[in-house]
Amino acid sequence: MTNIKLSKESVLGLIALAIFVGLSLFTPGFLSSGNINSMMFQLPEFGLIALGMMVVIITGGIDLSITYIAAFSGVGAALMMTNGFGIFPAIIVGIIFALACGAFNGVVVSKIGVPPILVTLGTMVLFEGVILAITNGNAISGFPDAYSLIGNGYYLGIVPFSLVIFFVFTIITGLLLNKSTWGRRVYMYGSNDLATLFSGVKNSKVLMKVYLYASLLAAVSAIIMTSRYNSVKVDLGSSYLLQSVAAAVLGGTNIHGGYGKVMGTIYAVLIFQFIRNGLNLMGVHSSLVDVVIGAILIAVLTLNFFSDKLSRQKAKAAS
Amino acid sequence: MRKLWLSLVVVLGLILAAGCVSEESAGSGGDEEADGAEETDNTSEEGNTEEAESDDELEIAVVPKLVGIPYFNASETGAEQAGEDLGVNVEYTGPTEADAAAQVKVIEDLISQDVDAIAVAPNDPASVEPVLKKAKENDIHVMDWDTPADKELVDLSVKQVDDEEFGRHMAEKLVEAMGTEEGEIAILTGGLSAANLNSWIDAAQSELDENYPDIEIVSDKIPTDEKQQVAYQKTLDLLKSYPDLKGVLAVSTPAPLGAAQAVQEKGLQDEVSVVGSALPTDSEPFLEDGSLDTAVLWNPEQLGYLTVALGKMLAEGEMPEDGQEIEGVGEITVEDDGKTVIMAPPQDYTKENASEFDF
Repeated sequence: MTNIKLSKESVLGLIALAIFVGLSLFTPGFLSSGNINSMMFQLPEFGLIALGMMVVIITGGIDLSITYIAAFSGVGAALMMTNGFGIFPAIIVGIIFALACGAFNGVVVSKIGVPPILVTLGTMVLFEGVILAITNGNAISGFPDAYSLIGNGYYLGIVPFSLVIFFVFTIITGLLLNKSTWGRRVYMYGSNDLATLFSGVKNSKVLMKVYLYASLLAAVSAIIMTSRYNSVKVDLGSSYLLQSVAAAVLGGTNIHGGYGKVMGTIYAVLIFQFIRNGLNLMGVHSSLVDVVIGAILIAVLTLNFFSDKLSRQKAKAAS
Repeated sequence: MRKLWLSLVVVLGLILAAGCVSEESAGSGGDEEADGAEETDNTSEEGNTEEAESDDELEIAVVPKLVGIPYFNASETGAEQAGEDLGVNVEYTGPTEADAAAQVKVIEDLISQDVDAIAVAPNDPASVEPVLKKAKENDIHVMDWDTPADKELVDLSVKQVDDEEFGRHMAEKLVEAMGTEEGEIAILTGGLSAANLNSWIDAAQSELDENYPDIEIVSDKIPTDEKQQVAYQKTLDLLKSYPDLKGVLAVSTPAPLGAAQAVQEKGLQDEVSVVGSALPTDSEPFLEDGSLDTAVLWNPEQLGYLTVALGKMLAEGEMPEDGQEIEGVGEITVEDDGKTVIMAPPQDYTKENASEFDF
């Protein structure tokens, strides 16, 4: 066993690869350059939200308000632009809006100690209400042309610029989680918050930064989405909410906290992307696509559960 | 630790640099983008001819706002019927939630599939603009149905009814149901900012002003948040504040149901008339005892049928003409701009006919 030990993530990577190969063999048009291109454009916005969700889940929490934070940040940026400000200030304001939301979540979770699922459920409704009050439910649109390059343009003429942004944030997230003190503490907090507290870590500070970071990723995703769709509305990206939880968990992140790898989430996002796109190309009804994705999720989670159990038993037997 | 921060700073610097590059080359970036688009164009054309050889049936994609609600299920039935009748391949697919982002993805995948025409009912007209442009670059015919998209962009726009006619028709039906040309009425609406609802109400108001000057509208239009429960509550309030109320005009599909529910509960079926826009299956229980007098709407099945029929014409390079007879739908009206097609006059659902429909 030890020589062919594959981590959960690599197995998932192989599954993603297998799905990709399978779909390109059996689905006409899957491998066409146009389709590959459109997949590269579809990936970043969802991937960023999934990464943000993963970081929160590693602490044993969940951020149900993440897509509304994204929409709120998009509204902030959109309002700036439609009122004649430049792209750069608009993006800054968008990020500030999101960070303010994240800070709010962070304070209530870390200082007051309310369970994250309750806090973010509340803030989800709260942010939705605030956006509705600002926009009256209407879409805000009409951004400068240069802005649309962020989501629709190519970097050096080949790679979608949004994909480059996604790539950069993937690396940053990986570095922060694995190499920084904060990252180590995030994992520590996720496995045992009491032990972390008693080893002299300021838990509230760690948590605060987790929610801030998740909202930062949501803001980046929002900028890509608003630029890609040239418009923002209260429910922008709302379909990503539960999908992002699913992607993080499919990627091996432990829903109770303490474990989760960037690569796993990326593979999971890829798997979702391939399957959704492939089934759409085959003309499968969209409600059936949801069924397939749900089934895969449950299958992988059950598999993970049993393999965890097995390895734990082995470890016990060995000791 | 220091190493880590250094590397972080480097990465951040890289992002900034990337940002600068993209902004400086905004102009040239645009060119590159165009090149990229051309390249994909060529390849997709190759793919196109290959597919055309293997499959000569036209492929028409119809994208609703979302799948799995009665209204859009009915239009799916119509669209598929049209596909069978006209010998075209109909792909009826949409997001499972009314999320603009999810809808754009569906359209992008349809572009990859190289369909011949895409008809979309946009959740957010602005958000589908870029993707419809992309579809046009790939030589796909683009049209909208049910809800208009950007007028400049689409080749055809299928509208269920003429807004003016629809509003006036509802007002007439209300007066008819009240049986008198004087008295107090109230207007309920789905939301104050819904453009189509507002134009219906404006039309209804001008019809009342012009032809029935003795009818008094007791307050400004009352928003009901597209919810039956809210409409019910607001109608109860209205009945209390205006005991002489003769009629309620309820615009947006849940509103008439809520209003009728309130009237039913108070047993005021004979005193207060309710007319509004609603689907027949939903309104049947209220139509039966007269708490709802007439539901006015269009036939979503026909709308699906017409969308596919027009999509086929478009893909074959034809344009519809004013007064043209479409089999299975009837005579259509084409507006002066040459590309807005209006399906048919509004359809009334009453106690007598509501049970014949299954949407």
